[in-house]
Amino acid sequence: LFGMFKSLTSGRVLTAETLAEPMARMREHLANKNVAADIAAEICRSVAQGMVGVRVGGLQSIKALVEENMERALTRILTPISSTDIIRDIAQARTQNRPYTMAFVGVNGVGKSTNLSKVCYWLLQNNKRVLIAACDTFRSGAVEQLRVHVRNLRALSTNQDVEIFERGYGKDSAAIAKDAIAFGAANNFDVVLIDTAGRMQDNEPLMRALAKLVSVNSPDKILFVGEALVGNEAVDQLTKFNQALRDFSGMSKPRHIDGMILTKFDTIDDRVGAALSMTYTTGQPIVFVGTGQTYTDLRKMNVSQVIRALLRA
Amino acid sequence: MVLNELGARINGALQALSRESVIDDKALDALLRDICGALLESDVNVRLVQQLRQNVKKRVNVEELASSANKRKIIQTAVFDELCGLVDPGVEPWKPRKGKQNVIMFVGLQGSGKTTSCTKLAAYYKRKGMKVGLVCADTFRAGAFDQLKQNASRVHIPYYGSYTEADPVQIAREGVDKFKADKFDIIIVDTSGRHKQEAELFAEMVQISQAVQPDNTIFVMDGTIGQAADAQARAFKESVDIGSIIITKMDGHAKGGGAISAVAATSSPIIFIGTGEHMHDLDRFSARPFVSKMLGMGDLSGLVET
Ligand SMILES: Nc1nc2c(ncn2[C@@H]2O[C@H](COP(=O)(O)OP(=O)(O)OP(=O)(O)O)[C@@H](O)[C@H]2O)c(=O)[nH]1
Ligand SMILES: Nc1nc2c(ncn2[C@@H]2O[C@H](COP(=O)(O)OP(=O)(O)OP(=O)(O)O)[C@@H](O)[C@H]2O)c(=O)[nH]1
Ligand SMILES: [Mg+2]
Ligand SMILES: [Mg+2]
Repeated sequence: LFGMFKSLTSGRVLTAETLAEPMARMREHLANKNVAADIAAEICRSVAQGMVGVRVGGLQSIKALVEENMERALTRILTPISSTDIIRDIAQARTQNRPYTMAFVGVNGVGKSTNLSKVCYWLLQNNKRVLIAACDTFRSGAVEQLRVHVRNLRALSTNQDVEIFERGYGKDSAAIAKDAIAFGAANNFDVVLIDTAGRMQDNEPLMRALAKLVSVNSPDKILFVGEALVGNEAVDQLTKFNQALRDFSGMSKPRHIDGMILTKFDTIDDRVGAALSMTYTTGQPIVFVGTGQTYTDLRKMNVSQVIRALLRA
Repeated sequence: MVLNELGARINGALQALSRESVIDDKALDALLRDICGALLESDVNVRLVQQLRQNVKKRVNVEELASSANKRKIIQTAVFDELCGLVDPGVEPWKPRKGKQNVIMFVGLQGSGKTTSCTKLAAYYKRKGMKVGLVCADTFRAGAFDQLKQNASRVHIPYYGSYTEADPVQIAREGVDKFKADKFDIIIVDTSGRHKQEAELFAEMVQISQAVQPDNTIFVMDGTIGQAADAQARAFKESVDIGSIIITKMDGHAKGGGAISAVAATSSPIIFIGTGEHMHDLDRFSARPFVSKMLGMGDLSGLVET
């Protein structure tokens, strides 16, 4: 990749000009790793800026120096500022005699319902009682899909601590979520997981409906589910989901996406750029990574592994 | 819709070129930089973008051009042809044969839109007066059969599937046999989502394909896919005989460049694009008119054979 820049450059001071070419290569390298083009450009620009004026030591190559600086920048972007301890937050909600609520949102087919079921499995492992609210009342088979998951999860769990709350198709999803949360509170559930219909970020009626679901129910966590396969669209999706929550909610303190689930991580080899695009765009953490189609295929993100994959030739 | 915004960007770059008083290497490089940047932002495969840049440079020898009166047109034509090459593999798309029973199999990555698109396609052929049946050979995804059933019922298309049989090969064979016996013109087989990293899933796809002997295999790609498109498309192509491509979810903001990369990877044409979740949201696609339209090529089209 940096073949041209292997040459040693001793005792030189880096300028914008000397950095232009290696940075252009880095940009293309990141784009090839599936980082959104704009974001790759922005990160490269800021890394280059930080390197201008640096004196290159005798045996240092610019390539190594660029990678070193890039690694530092990527670590900063990918490392969450706040920790997410959902189990602790659930306990906190319990002290207020209410279930902890999580809404799974995102565009079509990215894995919302499947990864909701994986999160449910993880919660059951942690001895939580979980209610799944079937609030995708639009897509064919969405309710039955969750019913099957609940049946499977009940068979897997010792105490059968999971139930589905459903009202069929065609109904107002915000109202169903509200009833589900009330039902969860009355029946001693620790957590309510809210499945929502997939929607395109430009579809205003559907985005308004999502903002309504959020403002009516104030879920504790709004998790954006995005697939690792997504390219430049990642940026637009996240920006517009946040925009809709802000502009359509009618709340004085509007909500935003609290975190992401990065799905289909098993389908992309080392083109892990979507992880970077998503965290850069939102400043929010990737709470889980989906790595397959079974209940145990849910991981915490390994930041250094992602960075290694991003910089690998 | 697909590529529109990209078309606007490229067109802008071409127009900027028309305003240049001298067209030298520098102007050409600037133009190509703009175009390649736009392609990368649209998720076109990085290698294809590099190739396009080289091909145009190779075709347009600036020095030889110097004397030519229509430098700009030569450059524009080169760019146009290369863009066409991206979306047009130069093969006739498969068409169902009248009086024959045509089996179509759908394959693709998880969640790409297979189940939705196969019902849309079934409805499309039904509107053309053909007798169409749908087979659900996805025994893996929770609720897959219910999904297909509800979709099919909405557009009154007969379907075949099972809640209890776990072997998709078995169901596919049974369903196709049944519809063949009932003299259906078009039999569409929906399969589970899969990816190249899981060899077993690909082996299953090959088995289904062998069992139903499809006349056409349609590869469904999500229009928002990024740089992973090429490797996945290639792997599908190596396992089954992909004849056509459908790109889905083009009703949003996506430009579909990743999915378009699948054309090069599979040498197969895009036949339809999905433009919504409803059963009639399916648009026909044809490459060259599309590129002309996207570039608003009123004056250019005369230059180019179609
Ligand atoms: N390989 C892989 N497949 C996944 C992963 N997560 C989900 N899937 C698959 O992706 C497909 C779509 O998943 P769903 O959970 O139905 O997606 P969704 O976002 O709920 O879809 P809609 O509700 O229709 O918008 C299914 O085939 C899942 O099995 C993952 O981490 N890896
Ligand atoms: N907006 C929009 N949504 C679409 C389009 N095509 C499919 N979808 C949606 O994308 C999601 C996934 O579609 P499916 O048809 O279930 O995808 P699939 O490939 O069968 O998924 P698996 O069987 O799990 O691999 C659903 O929510 C569909 O409604 C489209 O053209 N536009
Ligand atoms: Mg769903
Ligand atoms: Mg399907």
